[in-house]
Amino acid sequence: MDDNVISAMIFVSIGLGSLGLFAFLWGLKSGQFDDSDKFLGGALHDSEEDLNSAKKMTDRQDKIKKGKKK
Amino acid sequence: MQSSNKLHSCSHCHLEFDAKTMIFESLEQKDYSFCCKGCQNVFHLLKDEGLDSFYEKVGSKKLHSVNNEHSSLSKFDQDGYAKKYITTNDNLNEISLIIEGIHCNACVWLNERILHQCEGIIEASINYTNHKAKIMWNPKEIKLSQIVEKIQSIGYNAYAYDSNLQEERVNKVRRDYYSRLLVGIFCTMNIMWIAIAQYAGFFTGMSQSIKDILNLAEFILATPTLFYTGWFYFKGSFYGLKNRMINMDFLIVSGTLSTYFYSIYVSLTGFGEVYFESVTMIITFIFAGKYLEVLSKKNAVDSLDGISSSIPSEQTVIANGHKKVVDTTMVQTGDIIEVRPGEKIAIDGVLYKHAGNFDEASISGESIPIYKKTGDKITSGTVCLDSVIQYRASKDFANSMIQSITTLLEESLTKKPKIEKMVNQISGYFSLMVLLMAVLTFLGWKILGVSFEDAFIISISVIIIACPCALGLATPVATLIGVSLGAKKGILFKTSSHLETMAKATTIVLDKTGTITNGKPDVINFIKENEFDLNLLYSLVKSSTHPISKAIVDYLESIDKNIKEYVLDDMKNIEARGLKASFNNVSLLGGNTELFKEMNIDFKLDTSRSVFVFSIDNKIVCFFELEDKLKTDAIITIENIKKLGLEIIMCTGDNSTVANDTAKKVGIDTVYSAMLPKDKANVVENLQRDKKIVITVGDGINDALALSSSDIAIAMGNNTDLTVKVSDIIFINNKITTLYDAIVLSKTVFNTIKQNLFFSLIYNFVTILFAVMGFVIPVIAAISMSLSSLIVVGNSLRIKRIFKNGR
Repeated sequence: MDDNVISAMIFVSIGLGSLGLFAFLWGLKSGQFDDSDKFLGGALHDSEEDLNSAKKMTDRQDKIKKGKKK
Repeated sequence: MQSSNKLHSCSHCHLEFDAKTMIFESLEQKDYSFCCKGCQNVFHLLKDEGLDSFYEKVGSKKLHSVNNEHSSLSKFDQDGYAKKYITTNDNLNEISLIIEGIHCNACVWLNERILHQCEGIIEASINYTNHKAKIMWNPKEIKLSQIVEKIQSIGYNAYAYDSNLQEERVNKVRRDYYSRLLVGIFCTMNIMWIAIAQYAGFFTGMSQSIKDILNLAEFILATPTLFYTGWFYFKGSFYGLKNRMINMDFLIVSGTLSTYFYSIYVSLTGFGEVYFESVTMIITFIFAGKYLEVLSKKNAVDSLDGISSSIPSEQTVIANGHKKVVDTTMVQTGDIIEVRPGEKIAIDGVLYKHAGNFDEASISGESIPIYKKTGDKITSGTVCLDSVIQYRASKDFANSMIQSITTLLEESLTKKPKIEKMVNQISGYFSLMVLLMAVLTFLGWKILGVSFEDAFIISISVIIIACPCALGLATPVATLIGVSLGAKKGILFKTSSHLETMAKATTIVLDKTGTITNGKPDVINFIKENEFDLNLLYSLVKSSTHPISKAIVDYLESIDKNIKEYVLDDMKNIEARGLKASFNNVSLLGGNTELFKEMNIDFKLDTSRSVFVFSIDNKIVCFFELEDKLKTDAIITIENIKKLGLEIIMCTGDNSTVANDTAKKVGIDTVYSAMLPKDKANVVENLQRDKKIVITVGDGINDALALSSSDIAIAMGNNTDLTVKVSDIIFINNKITTLYDAIVLSKTVFNTIKQNLFFSLIYNFVTILFAVMGFVIPVIAAISMSLSSLIVVGNSLRIKRIFKNGR
């Protein structure tokens, strides 16, 4: 088999696999798996006001983070 | 306006009250009723903030009515508080608070929304399960006391999360290990399919360019494994070297690093074989063993938090005729505290006004409410049952019973097994020896005229094959299997090291009541003097919740399936004596011998057992003898335990007649009776001074001190919060056969561990010999390591068989 084909196969598959790995590790670190009740119960709180209030909070947090960087 | 006497439910908390006490209000053509100003205020607040969809979410669930009296909030802004609970990150403060009063998801939603609406709060997330709120705020925009005030304004309360920061740390460590393990497993699995190609190429020939690609891929995978997953081994060997010790970590590091660099050298020069897969496999396997150890370190019981959260954070103190709400920690000796029915007592004291019944179950395990009058001692941890009482504090919170026992027991939680230290010492010698052998091998083969590469390979094989993969897995796998098997049988080990200690135990100290005996009276004898209507007796005793009455009810129901209950008149419960009632002008009297002595009715019986006498119209018609019976299979269990070679001692607070009687029946020779908690602890310590390893089994707080001194503490069945906290092993069911099962399990697991260690050591020894003699290449070394691990795991699985033979 051509060398390029083999390299492509190997590196693409490892690359895709590691994407999955990183995503999982990120989820662990940011606490996505900590509270299963909240995850399931979250479906109950998706009215418009709830989403707006959530957006307000994330905006506030982003502002602080940008302020820190400066 | 409604004026009926029906019960109305409050529009906020949904609790029901008489119409006369409610506040009525009409708003926007709708009628509302509130039980108190607090609920009404919260209702208006929610409406103003636009949060009244709360009521849709909460449905008709009952909350508790809003209590607007809170202690001052200034403590939240004090420095001492901040130092203890608040962490600072880039000018933002962070704290974990427990929110009191949460009933359901809707409450969590409400609290989060209210907090989100505050300027200055950056993050507020509340965990549904443990009601812990993580709050991040800018101290320049809002103060902590204002945040708590907001929470209180909607009818909840908050206090800082104080207990057991140890648990947080354990969780963090576990998560960290898990991430590293995942990376290791991912890389190993991928490297394996690349390595297989290389193995094939080794035999059939492979062009160099393809080899290069495969080598590069393996290199990319092996590097994170070695340095990220294997990081703890680098740290471990560094600290070992600092203390002038060569430990297992150093062995692993030297083996894998040399293989790694050698493989890089080979891939660059093209001579020889590459061994990246050995590197990842070694690191991952041994790390898996380490992870299993960390997993099994997790505590099986989290009742710790349960205790601290049930202690009320505020007390109502009466000073100069005024009632003031004060923080529990601020109450002084001599203050008069008022407690309402249903509240838990937090501070020791002496009862001042109004007698009442107290539930002491959380302290003594006693199910009978205890009646106390002015002058009687009140202990923290008990619950005030039926009347509003006032009592004078005799100690402050820090010294009160619950708190002092809690601190005492917290210190006992840090016991480490001595095996760990021994293992570390041995591994030091082992590693040094292996390194020396590797060096000698290298030199030996060099002297014999072999090329540098070949000699290097051989010595690397020595190191790799000596790598204690199986050794690393020997203990954790067996203990993990043992712990989970135990859990299925109702035996909860708090940490796996207790399995080893228990297997080596020489002596057991048993409590009597509740451990060997059922802990409640059973009818032994029923003597009828005259014929009478059993239903009268049944109706009399059915009205009481006293354990003796309950025992008689059970007995009567068992001898007469058609027994009926009549409605009696003038029912009266005579404290600590018995019951009185009348039916169709016939007077019924039932109780103990003291009652009949006081009523001047003649009754004599010579017995050490509990007696219940029943008379109709002051003539005795029958009496019962009751006794706390032995648990099922108690005699057989004690016999079996003695056959295992353990010494059994009974240690009880009960009097000597009953104690000796029970001991003789069950087969225990050594009995200590009338023991106070301190005496029990002394017994344990004396045994330990004789170099004996002691297991103590008990329930109730009079065992707590003894439990904390012994090598293994077991809490059985109906235990109190505090004994659960101090125990190393907890039995979920009340059976005494579980004790025997636990001992057998521990011994089996310990034997398996010894077998595993023996096997892995012999295996290592033999294979090192082969490696030194040059028969082993690193690939074979890596494979043999996996093989040895499999054998160790398989041997450990045999533990499951001991309970399959119908135990």
